[in-house]
Amino acid sequence: MAVTLPEGNLETRLSRYLDGFNNRHGLEESSAEGNLVLIVVKPQDLPAVLATARETLGILHLSFITVVDRQGSFELTYELLDLRGAQVRVKTTLEGEEPVIDTVTGIYPTANWHEREAYDMFGVAFKGHPDLRRLYMWQDHFDHHPLLKSFEISTKRTFEGLR
Amino acid sequence: MLSEERRTEGTALTRPATGRLVDPDVRDEFGLETIDMNMGPQHPAMHGLLRLILELDGETVVRCDPVMGYLHRSKEKISENRMYPAVIPITDRIDYMNNIAMEYGYCLAVEKLLDVEIPPRADAIRALMNEFGRIMSHIPSIGFLMLELGAFTPILYAFRERERIQSLFEAVTGARMMFHYIRIGGVKADLPEGIPEKMWSYLEGLEQRFEPDFVDLIEGNEIFISRTRGVGKMTPEKAVEMGLTGVPLRCTGVEFDVRKHYPYGWYKNLDFDVITDEAGDVEASYRCRIGEVRQSIRMIKQILENLPEGEVLADLGRRLRPNEGDGIGRVESARGEYAVHVVSDGSDTPYRVHYRTPCTVNMQLLQEIVPGHYLPDIMPIMGLIDPVSGAWDK
Repeated sequence: MAVTLPEGNLETRLSRYLDGFNNRHGLEESSAEGNLVLIVVKPQDLPAVLATARETLGILHLSFITVVDRQGSFELTYELLDLRGAQVRVKTTLEGEEPVIDTVTGIYPTANWHEREAYDMFGVAFKGHPDLRRLYMWQDHFDHHPLLKSFEISTKRTFEGLR
Repeated sequence: MLSEERRTEGTALTRPATGRLVDPDVRDEFGLETIDMNMGPQHPAMHGLLRLILELDGETVVRCDPVMGYLHRSKEKISENRMYPAVIPITDRIDYMNNIAMEYGYCLAVEKLLDVEIPPRADAIRALMNEFGRIMSHIPSIGFLMLELGAFTPILYAFRERERIQSLFEAVTGARMMFHYIRIGGVKADLPEGIPEKMWSYLEGLEQRFEPDFVDLIEGNEIFISRTRGVGKMTPEKAVEMGLTGVPLRCTGVEFDVRKHYPYGWYKNLDFDVITDEAGDVEASYRCRIGEVRQSIRMIKQILENLPEGEVLADLGRRLRPNEGDGIGRVESARGEYAVHVVSDGSDTPYRVHYRTPCTVNMQLLQEIVPGHYLPDIMPIMGLIDPVSGAWDK
């Protein structure tokens, strides 16, 4: 098989990933728990960290990118899998109302549509993306990013009165 | 029916997957042009509502650009505005061919936030229903593939099987399609009396019908082979690079199955094989699906033989308020890795729910492998990916 997937004990692999990230990059936070390695990085370091993950540590699969609108900042989660039991979760926070971050399509080509979706739903601009169009919404005549908390829906409900 | 050696050799029957492209210089000299064509969104073979913008050179596709969003129902926004248990019916409608897996992923994510223990019987029933759901989704997808190739019979057989499983599900859940059966903390209700026996006898019947109706009828068929072998061919490197999961990944020979490598629930106790194939074309994906149905039957029998006793729903109180943080539930749906990321802020409603549906990611493949194929090869390639409109559009 042409694709080399990681082998060996899960715990040694997790500590190898954790050390691999810690030795190469200045991380804001890092921890390993269960089968999960969680690292928090600065937005400008993110492409370099993901390049380390794929090229050096051999974590081949980008599962998804989640954007969370924290009203004033955006929290991005990049979930990586090594396809053999270990998860690596890379988090970063973008300050401000108009978030910009470098694309990772050069590292993980599958990020193409994940980033298009994030742009469509939150207006996160991915610098260097080859084809940054909206994925779901109309291409023209629609200026909103629907998953922003500022995009109010007409049937907003509260559950304050309930017990 | 083909003899075994012709079937395995088969080279005389297959044609190269790449169409002939006219040299751009020649094209200019003779004033030849490529034409743009819309395929869909309302096309009977588009698995729902998908529009493909195709650039054609004669009958060969030069560029394929999928346009999605025709069935976008803003599931993620709706989920932010509902209490935790009320999101489950929403997840049902994401992948409407394989609903149980969709509910399962969401419930796992919330349970991770709540940090609760699930009763073993509930775990076993979840796995049981999930595997039935896989059979219920894989068999029609084989039928759809054949329907798009012009064979009408397999879809009738496939829906006969799906109907029977739906009747079993109706007895268990009360619904035929949108089950709302898996709940946070367990399942809605225990299996009714007599249903495990009915499931067992159904499986025995399915095993008898499966070989003649779905294997012998299709596998050696000359037209099937000539339309699928070598079509949509991709390498394992490409498949991993594109982030594929599920059958499209496994048919290239990469062994990855969430049930095996990121086990959840009752799957830790089950004995099953991950089906892979080397060829990486449409025919290989068909063989993988056939193999997976067999594995599902094997798993259901194991579960039914050792069904634990006890409660089926953990008591979580009336109002769910998970701790702040992230919960990620990941399951193997019939189409690949389905993950739900729930972000909680400690209130009644999720702060953010992100659904990673396998169809959305697998569909990127269309841009990559369709160019170079003939126009009619798009149908079998759609059958390889087997997307569901509700799942790619969310």
